[in-house]
Amino acid sequence: MAERIDRWIQALARLTALAGGLVLTALIVVTVISVSGRALVFAGLAPVPGDFELVEAGTAFAVFAFLPWCHLRRGHAVVEILTMHFSDNLNRLIEIVANFLMFLFAALICWRHWLGTIDKYSYGETTFILQFPIWWAYAAGLFGAVVFVIVSAWCFLRSIHEYRTGSGVAIGGELP
Amino acid sequence: MSNLEIGIWSFPVLLLLIFLRIPIGLSMLAVGVLGSYMINGSFLMIFGQLKNQTYGTFSSYSLSIVPLFLLMGQFARLGGMSTALFKAAETWLGHRRGGVAMAAVGACAGFGSICGSSLATAATMGQVALPELKRYGFSGPLATGTLAAGGTLGILIPPSVVLVIYAILTEQNIAKLFVAAVVPGILAALGYMLAISIYVRIRPNSAGTRERVPYGERFRALLAVWPVLAVFLLVVGGIYMGIFTPTEAAAVGAAGTGLIALVNGGLTWSTLKSSILDTANSTGMIFLIILGAAIYNGFLALSQLPQEAALYVTEQGLSPWLVLSIILILYLVFGCVMDSLSMILLTVPIFFPIVIGLDFGLSPEEFALWFGILVLIVVEVGLITPPVGMNLFVINSMAPDVPLAQTYRGVFPFVATDLLRVVILALFPFITLGLVRWLY
Repeated sequence: MAERIDRWIQALARLTALAGGLVLTALIVVTVISVSGRALVFAGLAPVPGDFELVEAGTAFAVFAFLPWCHLRRGHAVVEILTMHFSDNLNRLIEIVANFLMFLFAALICWRHWLGTIDKYSYGETTFILQFPIWWAYAAGLFGAVVFVIVSAWCFLRSIHEYRTGSGVAIGGELP
Repeated sequence: MSNLEIGIWSFPVLLLLIFLRIPIGLSMLAVGVLGSYMINGSFLMIFGQLKNQTYGTFSSYSLSIVPLFLLMGQFARLGGMSTALFKAAETWLGHRRGGVAMAAVGACAGFGSICGSSLATAATMGQVALPELKRYGFSGPLATGTLAAGGTLGILIPPSVVLVIYAILTEQNIAKLFVAAVVPGILAALGYMLAISIYVRIRPNSAGTRERVPYGERFRALLAVWPVLAVFLLVVGGIYMGIFTPTEAAAVGAAGTGLIALVNGGLTWSTLKSSILDTANSTGMIFLIILGAAIYNGFLALSQLPQEAALYVTEQGLSPWLVLSIILILYLVFGCVMDSLSMILLTVPIFFPIVIGLDFGLSPEEFALWFGILVLIVVEVGLITPPVGMNLFVINSMAPDVPLAQTYRGVFPFVATDLLRVVILALFPFITLGLVRWLY
């Protein structure tokens, strides 16, 4: 059962990150078109209007979408100078605390971002040039934020499991 | 507790969390949220702030340069340019004593001009150069030391992700910072080559040479690296000339390196996916730290600590040079255990207000550029100093026959040239600022 959930979570985080990458790639294309258009104004072309608004909204979506993958792969920057002298068991205990904290703050970020989305929705705020409602961009970010909560909850459970069974690598980045 | 005291106490708590291996970004986030609760007596303000701050940070136009540069670096790895660069450098330098190692440094510098990350540069060039160094009889420590140090050129030579973050934190012009980094970056490469040349004279049996290559072949090899030059000129030149914003330049650069990789057959569906996932990993890591730092620095500003600290240091009437030296040494010490970006994000908002008030005989803008380059170098030294030097780990994992302790020894001459360079650049700001003054 746990293995199956793990596979599902892996796939979820992976697909979310890839979706973020897809948007990032699209931003590159839009920006290149826009820059070329601006360079070729004399030939009757034009930059993409409001391209930077797209870049902002798209980057936000991508970063939200990247967080779960980074967390699942234990990709965060940590300082190991002290803990590498601790016992494996103590390290696994610390891992539980760290993962719980991450879950807590992932939930906090998601909750507040959700309220932010509702705010933007009810004010009907739009972007300056393209005039698209800002809450669209907020809602897109919400997708990654929710996946981040799911993944961090799973990572918390995973760390408890690793503590109980003494498995997993508590020290040093990558998954086995 | 007064607000200031809360601010001061937040440091040991933050450091405790970080040293207990809680992710750095998360530690800053947690301490920032709790600290602002303690100052305000409620979560009202910080929770209200969080409604928009996460989106605001993640959607920042100037920060969007970070994932774009990271993706550009990933594509650069796939384009086969590392091999072409190394071949070109090898034909010109390979016949000298220690020349193949010098060529590796030169190739790292070339790769650094299209890649903004040290780890990616070290990993990519390590793959190409380590087998060659072994083939020409270079000793293990010299080979791994060379590549670990060469990797730092990835971030010293623009474009550079760390410089982008520094520019945003201190509200400086990214283009000018990139220009300011050029001469120190070249000096770094020359310094490393000098270190190799001295090393092989002290230990003649640690290096071999290869046969001299005719000039025709040399120029042909040099010609093969034109795509690197094209992308570099497009990106850095484009920013400098004001044709692009830095974000646009990063997008154009990513498209350029992506195109090279596509033409050379390195970019396939599966390598595209792994590039994106690698970018996702680094981007997630960096933005969690950026978000944590934003929240933590917001709390610090609330506690008045940075202003009070700046005032305090100015009132002491300490020599500016003493303050600068202490700060740079602190960076060196912390660099041994912490990654460069976390250090910059954590400390620059505190140190910058302190040092900007000191008189070094430079205008505030010139000072910010010069200080940025000095900080960039000292935090990068952290990547190659034991016990926690990421570049050392990356390179060492690629050379299984070299024990880590030997790599530690091998990198020592390079660290020495780094320190020498910091002193020289600190004493002669003109070296850093000359090109900026000339171009602007």
